[in-house]
Amino acid sequence: MSNTVRVQPDLKFVQELQQVGGEALKKCYQCATCSVVCPLSPADSPYPRKEMVWAQWGLKDRLVNDIDIWLCHNCGTCSDLCPRGAKPGDLLSALRNMAYRSLAKPSIIGTWMSSSKGFPLLFLIPALIYMAIWVLRAGQLGTAFPLFVTDGHTLKVAAEGAIIYGGLFPGDFTIDPIFGAVFAFMAFAFAGGIASMLKGFESMPKTFIVGRGKEPSFLCCLIDTLKVEVAQHSRFRNCGQEEKDVQRFTGHLFVFYAFIALMVVTSVVAVGHWFGAFFLQHLMGIEGGIAALIAWSGHTPMPLWSPVKLLANAGAVALVYGLMKLTGRRTAMDAAKSTSNWYDWYLLTVIWGIALTGIGSEIFRLFGQKILAYPTYYLHLVFVFMMLAYLPWSKLGHVVYRTVALAYARKIGRLPMGELK
Amino acid sequence: MAEKLGVYICSGCDIGKSLDVDSLLDTVKKGKLASICPVVKKSAVLCSPDAVTEIEADIKEAGLDGVVLCACSPRVKWDIFQFGATQVERVNLREQCVWSFREDPKVPGLLPLMAQDYVKMGVMKLSKSRIPAPEVPETNKTILVLGGGFTGLTAALEAAKLGKDVVLVEQAATLGGKAATMYKTFPMSHPYLKAEDTGIDQLIADATSNAKIKVLTSANLVSLEGAPGLYTATVNAGGEQQFAIGAVVLATGWVPGDKGFLAPMGYGSIKNVVTAAEFEAMAKAGSIVRPSDGQAPASVAFLTDVSLCTKGSTAGTADVCAPVDPLPEKAAEGEPEVSAYPDKESAKHLAYSSELTSLVALKQAGYVREKLGQSVAFVLYDHMMVPGINERYYKAAQDDAGIMLSKASITAVTEDADGGVIVAAKDTLLGADIEIKADLVVLPTAIVPVTAHEPTMNLVYRQGPGFPDLELFDGFVDSNYICFPYETRRTGVYAAGCVRQPMTLAGAKEDAAGAVLKAVQCIGSANRGVAVHPRSGDISFPVFNFQRCTQCKRCTEECPFGALDDDEKGTPKPNPTRCRRCGTCMGACPERVISFDNYNIDQIGSMIKEVYVPDDMVAGGPRVIVLVCENDAYPALDMAAFRGKSWSPFVRFVPVRCLGSVNAIWVADAVSKGVDGVIMLGCKYGPDYQCHFVKGSELCSRRKTNIAESLGRLGVEAERVEQYEVSIDEYDKVPAIIERFMTEVITKFGPNPFKGY
Repeated sequence: MSNTVRVQPDLKFVQELQQVGGEALKKCYQCATCSVVCPLSPADSPYPRKEMVWAQWGLKDRLVNDIDIWLCHNCGTCSDLCPRGAKPGDLLSALRNMAYRSLAKPSIIGTWMSSSKGFPLLFLIPALIYMAIWVLRAGQLGTAFPLFVTDGHTLKVAAEGAIIYGGLFPGDFTIDPIFGAVFAFMAFAFAGGIASMLKGFESMPKTFIVGRGKEPSFLCCLIDTLKVEVAQHSRFRNCGQEEKDVQRFTGHLFVFYAFIALMVVTSVVAVGHWFGAFFLQHLMGIEGGIAALIAWSGHTPMPLWSPVKLLANAGAVALVYGLMKLTGRRTAMDAAKSTSNWYDWYLLTVIWGIALTGIGSEIFRLFGQKILAYPTYYLHLVFVFMMLAYLPWSKLGHVVYRTVALAYARKIGRLPMGELK
Repeated sequence: MAEKLGVYICSGCDIGKSLDVDSLLDTVKKGKLASICPVVKKSAVLCSPDAVTEIEADIKEAGLDGVVLCACSPRVKWDIFQFGATQVERVNLREQCVWSFREDPKVPGLLPLMAQDYVKMGVMKLSKSRIPAPEVPETNKTILVLGGGFTGLTAALEAAKLGKDVVLVEQAATLGGKAATMYKTFPMSHPYLKAEDTGIDQLIADATSNAKIKVLTSANLVSLEGAPGLYTATVNAGGEQQFAIGAVVLATGWVPGDKGFLAPMGYGSIKNVVTAAEFEAMAKAGSIVRPSDGQAPASVAFLTDVSLCTKGSTAGTADVCAPVDPLPEKAAEGEPEVSAYPDKESAKHLAYSSELTSLVALKQAGYVREKLGQSVAFVLYDHMMVPGINERYYKAAQDDAGIMLSKASITAVTEDADGGVIVAAKDTLLGADIEIKADLVVLPTAIVPVTAHEPTMNLVYRQGPGFPDLELFDGFVDSNYICFPYETRRTGVYAAGCVRQPMTLAGAKEDAAGAVLKAVQCIGSANRGVAVHPRSGDISFPVFNFQRCTQCKRCTEECPFGALDDDEKGTPKPNPTRCRRCGTCMGACPERVISFDNYNIDQIGSMIKEVYVPDDMVAGGPRVIVLVCENDAYPALDMAAFRGKSWSPFVRFVPVRCLGSVNAIWVADAVSKGVDGVIMLGCKYGPDYQCHFVKGSELCSRRKTNIAESLGRLGVEAERVEQYEVSIDEYDKVPAIIERFMTEVITKFGPNPFKGY
């Protein structure tokens, strides 16, 4: 039954892992306390003990194809209770970082994203693009900080006008095409990443579950995953019961639903503009009624009482609240137990950037501070670009990778002990 | 002979409550020994300062030459009951009488009778005891250190530090031994994380420049003649020289084990499989390369699981249960046989070296990391044996990214087409049966003591030039490592370092100091005419009545320590400083010509005769004599009594120095007197013996066979004489042993047929 496996230890891989957050991995002496205390680990070949020894031996082929790194939600209980300070939680986090770095192509972005050294370049790309637009538009409009008055469907620069970001950065020609392209690029990169991830999972030995019925379809599993693990944060809730775990769960939930809210807002704007205003009104020539409502609902800037605007503001508040929780937890972490790495800080920085520049843009606009408002909005664009364009190579990539992995795990029946029926 | 005795009976600790002390005093006052007991007293608390002062006053006033103290066990309060030159006998009324007494429903009220027996036995014993007057030789103080390696050099320096002159004998042309062949050794100082220099050069420099140490290289010990404190060592160092030696530290170390045992793991058939010793030599020479092509290996696998090699020779299983051979009727005539020294090396030495194997693998894995940059070291171990502080060294190795460790059982070692070595293993931490390819494989080197191959000591002893029974320890010079480290079967010779047991340099350093202290103690004890160990300070010694000696040589052959040589006619020649005072010679002598002033045949025989044996076993109950080893069995009995155990009121305990000292005549005396059974209660014997004197309980069991045969000829059932093994902590088993004997022997066979004659 047992067949001999040739192992090929890879010292470079061990050293790489140590560099990306698994410094302490060599301390593990295989007592398996980590696997026992993990609230999410499955009964069969539980993680993270086996990952620790694979990492010590530099067994790259096993680790890069390991689904378990995505099943871990990084509560850090294993690291807290590790008698040797080997930080298994950090290792799994490091392995995920390696996955972010190498799963999606082009991998050069992964390299830039892997350390703070790449940050200036990554920042510079959107910064230059939007600066070019700003300079170009400033030339057209005659000022870099224009105020506008509405004249029917068009905007006109006027000394006594209002701050309208769409006037400086017209959605139709500058914002939407760029973000559309970025989104397509991201989706394409993800598709490649997911394909390579699934191929890796396939190469690993299967788990056999006694008494399990027919294997469900991937789609069913994906839907279940979205309903349970994603929408309800079910695993997250089970992942650690201490105060800091609750803090993390709450923080993540707020950030997650804030993003959902902001995504809804963005969608309404996009649909209102492109479907309502452009397609229905402009192309089809339909005026009034439902078309007008759709077009209006996506028209920016919105009045403050608009339900969409209210939702956006609520989302912004929730985002800041969630971010405070998450950042507070990270800064209070005991470095002897768990540590934060560049991937953690990059993501927090970018999201804080988005949240603060977003809110700042609104406030400065409302108070008519054009010298502050436009640069803030400009930075907002840069941060949003940084989040979206590099998403598959950032920690936020877990939105996609973990969701797919969880669905796959459901399909093959790799479930936490508590969830096995 | 003690002729003026004081007898004191204590009433404390339940004795007064259970016994009528006054009538017990009367048994002495009105008994046949009354004439030699001018003082007979009772005391409320005998160990109180007042009582002790009173005894001291009596000794002075009445001129007592001995006191019989009937109170608690001699194992307690011995420091209180010391009265200078006056002999002391302790009668154990508390533990052996009062506390452990159990009424027999058929023969009630036996306690006073039992107490009387013990008091009379004690008085009789002391009346037959003299104060020994040992010869006090002027002893040599020089310490001979054999072996100029790490241990020997350390020992020499330690001895010099204590003011002793040292003669250091090294076989090789240069000092340093194995340590000088090592690139580095395991950490010996804080923080215990890194391999370090052995420090051997400094040791050599210190020893050679020390005025008290005479260093002889290219030298060997031709012979060691005499006895502790009085040795003459003949050393050949380009010409024979003689030295007057007091004691010897044996530090001749080890030799690498036979590589043939490693053949199952590919040694000899696969080019790139080397031993740890060979690998060490490479590291010492400066470059680690593959034998096949001279290239630096990118990966080196250290395999410490040697079960492929040790299959079928597992340590400690062979011949454990072999029966003890009966004594040869008579020793072979003529010259003692000069037989070739039987070689004691086996694959078991690989297993015995486990701790070093683990540490060496860690150390040499460190060499790979230190000398070969990006090369990796695999350590596949069946167990990582790193006791004590070396755990830190293990942790440090674990922390190195290029040292990959896993538990593993090696299943095969094969050669790949390109010269690489493929190691197959199961039961690994990696989850499955694995195969791993390495450029170079390093197998353990077994540590085999030089004494596995040669006698080394070249003693001029009747029992031969080397240490007896070393096969029990597979050649390691040991005799009882738990209780008495450094001791060998030859008093005056103390072993240290790897000749004694595989050990690290740090261990050897401590060992050297320990052995030197034993050697110093030995010289000092010999100089005062007392035993070194285990009866440290005992002034008694065996006295021979040569007129009656028949030259049967039993004593010379059976002495566990080779204390007795013999002359041309075969008359024993005692060497008191070799002697440990166990009395094995006394037990051996069929003519009963050997005795100690304070421990002899007549004395114990007379004690046994003091036991009252009723003529009618039904009315008075049976009687059983228990000859108890003082070292383990007697304390076990005390502990049993202390913990509230009790046993048959028909047994009487007679303490003996060692079961080896039990002479058959005592059993004969007891049986002829009508005693219904004799138990000999002593230590475990055989390969895992616990006997303080190594062979005592084993010899006793052999003699018992002869005794039983003799009894059989007289019509007495052989089963009436039985020997039981008990260790010091088995107090819970003692009552059951006695009970079983009482029911299975005495009840079954009924009264001794000699009863009443």
